[in-house]
Amino acid sequence: MEHIRTPKVEQVKLLDRFSNKSTTGTLHLTATHLIFAESNSASAQEIWILHHHIASVEKLALTASGCPLLIQCRNFRIVHFIIPRERDCHDIYSSLFRLLRPGSYDDLYAFSYNPKQNDQQREEGWQLLDLGAEFERMGVPCDQWKLTDVNRDYKVCETYPRDLYVPITASKPIIVGSSKFRSKGRFPVLTYFYQEKKAAVCRCSQPLSGFSARCLEDEHMLQAISKANYNNRCIYVMDTRPKLNALANRAAGKGYENEDNYINIRFQFVGIENIHVMRGSLQKLLEVVGTRSLSMADYMAGLENSGWLRHIKAIMDAAIFLAKAVTVEGASVLVHCSDGWDRTAQVCAMGSLLMDPYYRTIKGFMVLIEKDWISFGHKFADRCDQLNGDSKEVSPIFTQFLECVWHLTEQFPQAFEFSEWFLIQIHEHVHSCQFGNFLRNSQRQREDLQVTERTYSLWAHLLSEKQNYLNPIYSSRFAESHPVLVPSTQAYHFKFWRNMYHQYDRSMHPRQSILKHILTLKESNRDLEGTVRALKAKLQKLGVSTSPLKPQTPPREHSLPPRPQSLILGAPVLSRKEVQREEDEEVFGEEAREDVPISTGGERTVEGSSATENGYMELPGSFGSKGEPAVVTLEFGVARMTC
Amino acid sequence: MHKSVDIMSFPPTLTVFFSIKETPVTLTVPLGVISRIEKMGGATSRGENSYGLDITCKDMRNLRFALKQEGHSRRDIFDILFKYAFPLSHGMQPFAYLSQEKYEENGWNVYEPMEEFRRQGLPNNEWRITFINKSYELCDTYPTILVVPYKAPDEDLRRVGTFRSRCRIPVLSWFHKQNHAVITRCSQPLVGMSGKRNKDDERYLDLIREANGTTKLTIYDARPNVNAVANKATGGGYEGEDAYQNAELVFLDIHNIHVMRESLKKLKDIVYPNVEDSHWLSSLESTHWLEHIKLVLSGAIQVADKVSSGNSVMVHCSDGWDRTAQLTSLSMLMLDSYYRTLQGFQVLLEKEWISFGHKFASRIGHGDKNHADQDRSPIFLQFIDCVWQMTKQFPTAFEFNERLLVVILDHLYSCRFGTFLYNCENARDTNDVRTKTVSLWSLINSDTASYTNPFYTPESSRVLYPVASMRHLELWVNYYIRWNPRIQHQQQSPVEQRYKELLALRDQYLKKLEELQLTDSTPSSTHLTNSSTPNAATPNQHITHLQTPF
Repeated sequence: MEHIRTPKVEQVKLLDRFSNKSTTGTLHLTATHLIFAESNSASAQEIWILHHHIASVEKLALTASGCPLLIQCRNFRIVHFIIPRERDCHDIYSSLFRLLRPGSYDDLYAFSYNPKQNDQQREEGWQLLDLGAEFERMGVPCDQWKLTDVNRDYKVCETYPRDLYVPITASKPIIVGSSKFRSKGRFPVLTYFYQEKKAAVCRCSQPLSGFSARCLEDEHMLQAISKANYNNRCIYVMDTRPKLNALANRAAGKGYENEDNYINIRFQFVGIENIHVMRGSLQKLLEVVGTRSLSMADYMAGLENSGWLRHIKAIMDAAIFLAKAVTVEGASVLVHCSDGWDRTAQVCAMGSLLMDPYYRTIKGFMVLIEKDWISFGHKFADRCDQLNGDSKEVSPIFTQFLECVWHLTEQFPQAFEFSEWFLIQIHEHVHSCQFGNFLRNSQRQREDLQVTERTYSLWAHLLSEKQNYLNPIYSSRFAESHPVLVPSTQAYHFKFWRNMYHQYDRSMHPRQSILKHILTLKESNRDLEGTVRALKAKLQKLGVSTSPLKPQTPPREHSLPPRPQSLILGAPVLSRKEVQREEDEEVFGEEAREDVPISTGGERTVEGSSATENGYMELPGSFGSKGEPAVVTLEFGVARMTC
Repeated sequence: MHKSVDIMSFPPTLTVFFSIKETPVTLTVPLGVISRIEKMGGATSRGENSYGLDITCKDMRNLRFALKQEGHSRRDIFDILFKYAFPLSHGMQPFAYLSQEKYEENGWNVYEPMEEFRRQGLPNNEWRITFINKSYELCDTYPTILVVPYKAPDEDLRRVGTFRSRCRIPVLSWFHKQNHAVITRCSQPLVGMSGKRNKDDERYLDLIREANGTTKLTIYDARPNVNAVANKATGGGYEGEDAYQNAELVFLDIHNIHVMRESLKKLKDIVYPNVEDSHWLSSLESTHWLEHIKLVLSGAIQVADKVSSGNSVMVHCSDGWDRTAQLTSLSMLMLDSYYRTLQGFQVLLEKEWISFGHKFASRIGHGDKNHADQDRSPIFLQFIDCVWQMTKQFPTAFEFNERLLVVILDHLYSCRFGTFLYNCENARDTNDVRTKTVSLWSLINSDTASYTNPFYTPESSRVLYPVASMRHLELWVNYYIRWNPRIQHQQQSPVEQRYKELLALRDQYLKKLEELQLTDSTPSSTHLTNSSTPNAATPNQHITHLQTPF
């Protein structure tokens, strides 16, 4: 690789962000990853950082111990290396600087990544999800909705998918006319059909109404949607922007629907802020949570001033409004923002998630993302900055969606088949550019890149590891009894998502996790079941009937439920063989702990207790005395997925 | 709407019957939680809901009843309520004395001081038990049985008493069996403006230090430095460096009862009757409640850490019955897994809070009409909140569940049980609390299943260090916001339910396995010894592995 001048640097120090701890190891630079391998042979932790994950590299001022290099990643990992020699540091810096900004799509990792599958397996991976089948599942096409081929060659709207569903009475001229009156040609189309009440959720972009312009075809289009729902003729038109923004757009010849011109519509602003506000908000959030010893007051005020949780709540409120209109009033809803690919995607997807239990399963959630985000042209390339693009286009819109889902899983823990680890993994890969799914901005652009022929699908990869993402307390019974979720949006329900933003900060990890506990118990039950079955089979072979003996007074001592191996909430339960090494260490760690006097016993607190600042220096210092093997498992999980 | 004050039922309650949209609703409030009753509006008040009664409760809610002006019915109900809600102000006994309740268990037997000290490994050749306070003549707010350094004779204790506020001399709270470090508690020294010294006190502290060879005794003064200095003006103060050369003094910056009271009042304002919505985080921050929780917890963490690394410590605040009780009991909870069991937790409360004279009567204001009393303060609630924070961070470490904590707090106010009555053991003895009232633990221990945490996994020698960081501390919504009508209460947490299902399933499998193994071993020993022995060993090993995964 021509960019890599120094492939390996030894004696590099890695500093922990929240404690005074550091580890020493070797830094390797490869064509795709930056790897830090701890030299301490006992734990031998490895950190793999994909170049695409790196958002920025910074050389800080030289210190006595070496040259600091600060790397910030899009998955919220922040690593702080100290490299002994300035020359090495500079080499790594300049190599990374080039590597993290690929010149063309062909340089992305997805096009070199090869998980040792043959072409057939790869094709099968891409065929796992079928949006046509998804619409059929909803009951479309039907007597009121039809599939239209108007966009077959992306002629009407190049950011929409080829297959679109419109009301049966919407003729081609109406569609084409309406599309000319809508920003970027994104005319109203169906995205979700609530079969029970025949109510539709449609999406589009803002009308080019300016101060007074009208378009008969567009008015007909909305009327067609209204007619398609014979239960309730009224359509809610949700403009997800704040009114002020919509008004400003009017001056640019765009704007919003005039209620006087459309029949049977109820117009509503929802007030979700735009991509620039969201970008700034996340930045403020990260500044607050990344600061080491903040006072409680600064932390909470900072969290509030970032506005992040308020924005999450706004999206949730909009989704609840949508779900209520559809499921309670049986009314159809048309959602738009400016271009209809950011806030519209958030609200449509969240609304569907509230209304349909299918989307709360692993497969269903993939379908939901495939439909509302990928196929309808959320601009992943721009929003996630895949190629050195316009920094003003970058925005955490999709991250916000995932966080909204996480808040739902917190309020309804038994309603989702997947755990938060699944959400975090998706987030990881939206930025990794390792799979073809999220490349570029639209279906058409992906077709130009031939992603299905040249790259692999994330969904196949995630499904193959489904075990790791299962939520142990998911209950399909709950899904049946609660088809529609009605979350509470009281402010105190919205909490900081620690496991997402502090995923890579080991000192921030929870001390114990109940979910892991349950998962371990579930695993052990499965093992037990297997043993019972094996024994039964064996007995049958021996010709003994299986229940001849009454259980005599059982000789078993009171047995304790099994305990999880790793305390980290999200860490997947890896298959036994793979983690054997880690487990052994962990067992050792636990045993050692039992014997040592309690002084080195339980977990140490690092950041919180130092707040009083009166002579409490021992704690951070002795932090390292206890191996935290759990982290190994987590890192291992990530490394395995990205390499 | 119909109201009735039911003074005949036990415990006495205010029961209000009314209807919301034709559905009858009954609201029952134990009279004990009532802090203040006020008339609202007058005969000439106009407008809906402008005339009636305003009731402030001690448990984070207020009630407001609108009445009709006709017939002067308000005066009667007000008089009756006022009389029976505040029995002590009307020359009557607390409700607990009316109790006829019978329980299978007798909660008064839960805590036997001698037995608890024996469990800790005391007395031994470093620490002895003294009966010097058996009729409360050394210190009237201490319990009768005290543990002091072996080398300190009783006469010395009296002399030390003269130098400690309210004679609350340093005595042992907890003993670390492995490294022999101790937690001792006391009140502030009477140093005063002139910087008085007391040789006996200095020698006594040195005896505590010497007992396990600690190089420097660490004294945790729970107060902020300035408060400790200010106390000198009223004759109190803190241990000076010159006088106590083998000790180091650490201030823990925990504020006094008045600050805590105001903080909780602010918290109540933002959660009741409506939860503040638009600026939730900054409103929550402005109450400082979580900040106080954080300071108490991190103080306790420091104490626990010192002790577990082999250093003896002494904890005090001003009088040694508020912040001191919080710190000693929380650090003991971190250090000693026994206190994390259902029984051990009761012992902890009986010992560190009740027997050592946390002034429950004054802090809660049992049966007293004087709602603005400056002595009232939610110190105990704050402690329970800290415990809850710990159970959140270590969900498998505690045998008891959240419900126990809520029930304890409910009966802290209800006065249905004698457990939290009066300020100290002396007063409890005088008023025959143990013979004439029922203990709260009778209720709890007769129904332990309701208070058991299914996730509990005993780990005897583990020290718990919670994270006292704002990234981990949370507002205890299920307690503070439980009266909000818009909160949907989940009967049983789905997580807990799922876990119980899985546990039941596991027991089934284990039972089946046992049966099968019995069957398995029978034939194998008779006919197929050779071939099946190695096979039979596999499941056995398997089970052992499952039972002891570490």
